Amino acid sequence: MIGRLPQHRIVDVHAHLGPYSLFFIPESDAATMVAVMDRTGTDVTVLAANRAIQQDAHLGNSQSLAAVDAYPDRIAAYAVINPWQEPERELERLAGDDRFVGIKVHPSLHRYPVTGARYAAVWEFAESTGCPVLSHSEHQSPYDAPRLFEAVAERYPGTSVVLGHAGITPAGVDEAIEAARRYDSLWLEVCGSQMTGPLIRAMVDQVGSGRVLFGSDFPFIDQRMSLGRVVCAPLTESQRQDVLSGNARKLFRWRPLPGERGVGQ
Amino acid sequence: MSDDVTSGWFDARIVTGAHPASLLPPTDRDAIAAHLDRYALSGALVSAMASWLHHPIGGNAEASAIAHSLADRGVLACWTAVPATSGELDSLTALVDRAVDDGVAAFRIHPASHGFSPALLDELYDALQTNRLPLCVDAAELSWPDLTTIATRFPELPIVVSNLGYRKLRELWAALVGHTNVFIDLVDFAAHQGVEWLAANDLADRLLFATGLGVRDPGESIVRLAWSGLDDATVRLVGSENARRLLHGVRA
Repeated sequence: MIGRLPQHRIVDVHAHLGPYSLFFIPESDAATMVAVMDRTGTDVTVLAANRAIQQDAHLGNSQSLAAVDAYPDRIAAYAVINPWQEPERELERLAGDDRFVGIKVHPSLHRYPVTGARYAAVWEFAESTGCPVLSHSEHQSPYDAPRLFEAVAERYPGTSVVLGHAGITPAGVDEAIEAARRYDSLWLEVCGSQMTGPLIRAMVDQVGSGRVLFGSDFPFIDQRMSLGRVVCAPLTESQRQDVLSGNARKLFRWRPLPGERGVGQ
Repeated sequence: MSDDVTSGWFDARIVTGAHPASLLPPTDRDAIAAHLDRYALSGALVSAMASWLHHPIGGNAEASAIAHSLADRGVLACWTAVPATSGELDSLTALVDRAVDDGVAAFRIHPASHGFSPALLDELYDALQTNRLPLCVDAAELSWPDLTTIATRFPELPIVVSNLGYRKLRELWAALVGHTNVFIDLVDFAAHQGVEWLAANDLADRLLFATGLGVRDPGESIVRLAWSGLDDATVRLVGSENARRLLHGVRA
C-alpha cells in the first residue's frame, strides 16, 4: 500500500508552464503546479514556459520569471535560448538575472542541431560560468540525438549538459547511456512516455546514480507519471534519493536552487 | 486523507506475456501475484499479449489460464475478438457464449493492429451488450468517429478506452459528454491534472484504475491515483467501485 503521502523529497529539473497549442492542458498555471508539488513532495521545480520553447523565447522567459516571482521558494527558471531568436540577447538577460538558474534548449522544436554554430554561444557561456544546460534529446533526431552531444562534450568539456528524456525511446536510452559513460559532463534526465523503471535502473547501473536526474515535463505531462516510475523502480533507497533530488542539488551550483545552497557552496 | 483508500484497488488492465520491444517488468502468473501483493490490489482483469501480437483467438487461453490460476486473488480474464472469418473464427456470438461460460469479464479489440474495420464486429457488440460485458479498446486502435458510431448504436454497451496519453482531452471531452457508455482507464492517462479535471466535471464515475502491467510501468498509475488531488471517496470510486459496477465478478 503506497499511501496518500509521499516519503521522498523531490527536485524536478524538467518542467514547463502554461498552454500548448497541440492539445489542451487543464490548469497549466504556476499556482496549480505548486499545488501538485505539495501533493508529491516536490520542494523545487525548474521550469521553462511553453511559450518560450514553442513560439517566443523572450516573452516565454518573462512568463517563467513571473512564476519565480510568485513562488520564489518553490520555482526556479531556465532561460530558453532559441538559436533563431537573438540568442545573445537572451544570454545577456540570463547573465544579469539570478532568477535564472540554467539554460534550456530544444533543438528538435527549433530545428537546429546542437552541434551547429548558432548554439556555440550557449556552450561557451555554460562552460565559462558553470551554468547547466537542459536539452531535449531524441533518438535518431538530426538535431538532438544522444550521440550528437558527444561532440558538444568533446569540444566543451566543462559544460554540464542534461540530456532531457535521455533519448526518449528504449533504444535512445541505450544511446544516451553510452554517451554519458564516455563523457562525465553529460547527465541523464528520466521523463518520457516510453520510460520505465527497468530503463531507469539501467541508467543507474551503467552511468552511476550520481548523474541521473528526476524530471517530469509537467504540466506538458502529469508529474506523477514520471514520478511513479522512479518511486516504484527497482533501485536502492540511496539511489532513488540521488535521482529524486540529491543530484539536482549537486548540479545546480552556479545559482543554487531555492531551499538549499548547492553542494560545495 | 486516509492511506487505507490506497489498498483494495482493482487493476482493470494487465497484459500477460512477453512484449517484444520494451524493457518492462515480467507478467507471468507469479509476477502478477507479486504485483497484486506489492500494491495491495483486490484483483485484476488480464488479457494476453499473444492475442494482441501473435494469435488473437488462440491467445485467449493464456488469459484464461492466468485467471483460473489466480481466481482466488480476484483475477478475471479479458478475451480478444476479431471478425468472423472462415478458418479463423466461425461465430462471434458463439465466441461470447464460450467466454461467458468460462467466466470472462470483458472483451478487447485491436482493429488497427489486426487489420479490420470495427464495423465488422456488430455481432460482437450486440452479444456483449446482451451479456453486459464491457468492450475494451486502446485509443490508438479506434478512430474517434468509429468510437462514436459504436457508442451510439449500442448505448447499453460499456466501452472502456485505454492508453489515452496526454494529447487527447479535446476529443475525449466530446466522447464522454456525448455518450454515457464511454469510460476510460488510467493506463497512460497522462494529461496534467487530467484525473482532477474529470472529477471536477462530475466524470469520476467514468474512470477505472488500471496499471497496464505488461505494456506500461505500473508505478505510473499507482502514484497518479494515490497522490492525486481527489478526495478519499473519489479515490475509492476510481480505485475499485467503478470496476465493480462495470465488470461481473469483481469482489467487494
